[in-house]
Amino acid sequence: MALRIDTAAVPGIERLATAVSPATRRQVRKNLWSYIFLLPLLVLVGLFVVYPMVASINITLYDWNGIGNPTRFVGLRHFFTVSRDPLFWNAFKNTFTYALVLVPIQLTLALILALVLNNPKLKGSTIYRAVYFSPVVTSAAMVGVVMTMLLGGVGDKLNGLLLDIGLIRAPIDWLGDPRFALPVVIAVGIWHTLGYNLVYFLAALQSIPKELYEAARVDGANAFHQFRYVTVPMLRDVGVVIVFLAILGSLQVFDLVLVMTGGGPYFASEVVSTYIYHYAFTPAAVQAEANVGYASAAALFMGLIVMGITIMQLLAVRYAASRRSELKSAPAAAGERVPRGGAYRGDGADLN
Amino acid sequence: MAVEARTMKPIMPKVLGKGLGRIAVHVILIGLGFLYMYPFLWVLAGSFKTPGEFFSSGLSLIPRQLNLKNYVYAWNAGNFSTYFLNTVVVAVGVTLLVILFSSMAGYVLSKTSFPGKKVVLGAMLALMFLPAGYTIIPTFELVQRLGLLNTLWSVILVQTAGGLVFNTFLFMGYFATIGKEIEEAALVDGANLPTTYWHVMLPMAKPMVATVGLFQFMQNWNSFWIPLVFTVGNPSLRTLAVGLYSFVGENSTGWTYVSAGAVISIVPIMVVFFFLQRYFIEAVAGAIKG
Repeated sequence: MALRIDTAAVPGIERLATAVSPATRRQVRKNLWSYIFLLPLLVLVGLFVVYPMVASINITLYDWNGIGNPTRFVGLRHFFTVSRDPLFWNAFKNTFTYALVLVPIQLTLALILALVLNNPKLKGSTIYRAVYFSPVVTSAAMVGVVMTMLLGGVGDKLNGLLLDIGLIRAPIDWLGDPRFALPVVIAVGIWHTLGYNLVYFLAALQSIPKELYEAARVDGANAFHQFRYVTVPMLRDVGVVIVFLAILGSLQVFDLVLVMTGGGPYFASEVVSTYIYHYAFTPAAVQAEANVGYASAAALFMGLIVMGITIMQLLAVRYAASRRSELKSAPAAAGERVPRGGAYRGDGADLN
Repeated sequence: MAVEARTMKPIMPKVLGKGLGRIAVHVILIGLGFLYMYPFLWVLAGSFKTPGEFFSSGLSLIPRQLNLKNYVYAWNAGNFSTYFLNTVVVAVGVTLLVILFSSMAGYVLSKTSFPGKKVVLGAMLALMFLPAGYTIIPTFELVQRLGLLNTLWSVILVQTAGGLVFNTFLFMGYFATIGKEIEEAALVDGANLPTTYWHVMLPMAKPMVATVGLFQFMQNWNSFWIPLVFTVGNPSLRTLAVGLYSFVGENSTGWTYVSAGAVISIVPIMVVFFFLQRYFIEAVAGAIKG
């Protein structure tokens, strides 16, 4: 095994040092310090990032409870079992529900807040920014504990308030009721990481040249037109990255779910990462025996799906960008003055 | 907002309309901000309450007295003193190692050329796009075979490795913006590569060191998944996040103790944040620009 790690850790270097021409060998000797400076990165990443990726593929082919060496080879059977397990698809559905509900709501709120806070005339905007950002600096696990107490059935908490103002007639078991568990976790998720997107949007807004707004104002554009025809197009590139990061991040949700509901009740809030965790480490929760091979297969299966989505998103972005540059160059080539807003409008259509 | 102020213009005198609009914005922002911070303020208040008060006074933010019993219990009997120390060791250790290793790698990758460089860069780029977070099981097995299971080293090394690739790219980008002249002057003076790195290049990269450092400290203070898995057999190695999670399981009725534990976990990073908030936010904003 040690041998496998070494080759994974230093791709190509040994080969280059021993094979090839004397000139290359001289180059290697001359740059010895460069290799030494790279060594910690190569060793650590090789050991704890690359090797596990490779090894996890191997583990998926075995039945293994995680103790000793995996012995019972089962081939691709785990992948068939995963792809037909209703509990996996339930977790899969919940994971995507989490991402597809959280991302649009959170990004809309973050953008509105960023537009308000970006106003240079607004006093104290750095204080507001810090306040709305602050949940981000605490961990999802800590936040989950606090929220569980706040929502929990013990004593006169949120339910008491809602009963008092007449919004509900009987106390609701927010995390114990299958109808509410996932929506509540989503709401907490929106609150917890909104600050990241707020700061991303603020950074993007501040990078828009002020002259563009001035020019628009001279042309008689009102605030809405400025937003529609200056802010939106200028935000588009960074906006795509923000959407990307938000989707990828929320598809990996784990801490918040594990701490707040443990995936329950009756798997109502089970996501793929907690499903994997249960099979590998706390099998009692899924009424199975610990099966690291099966858990790895589920993990790889999900990893491939997420990677597929990432690649599709990248291709879509590239396609949109190339269409956009074609559209932009067309009127300029014809020597026309770009009509205000007109080019942008044609521009926006390709994304919708 | 600006839209609102505009629609008022014909009705009200300009200054009055704008003033009212601005006050309305502040009222809304302060109200929402209060609700936003409410869970933190509530758990802070709860940490001073008696169990009876915690049960009966519901959502109140003002405890009847500043009762420190919960903190004493959480700190001693609840082992939060140990968790606190472990978290400091992990967060500081990982932060220093990531800064050191990724700046070293970033420096040679941006300023020297050597056989194999393209292979390394290509592999790093590929790693950025492969899905992470699904490989905990072989990592666990490897740590076990290396004899590091149930040590803080396992957490430190695994988390350091996880932070290296992205931050090496950040340092690479930063060093690329520094002109060749300074470095060449040092080399002419007879300095070798490590001396140049340590005395010339690293000091010049201070802003990037601060960015990476703050981000790593925050991430590792809060890390949950890795310490949860790697300290499962040894509760005395738990970090605050893991300790708090297990504390809830073990004290399912001791909510005031849990509140005190939560405050102990959250306050240090919040204090760091509020003192350095400008840099924190710049660090986050830098990640999207870079």
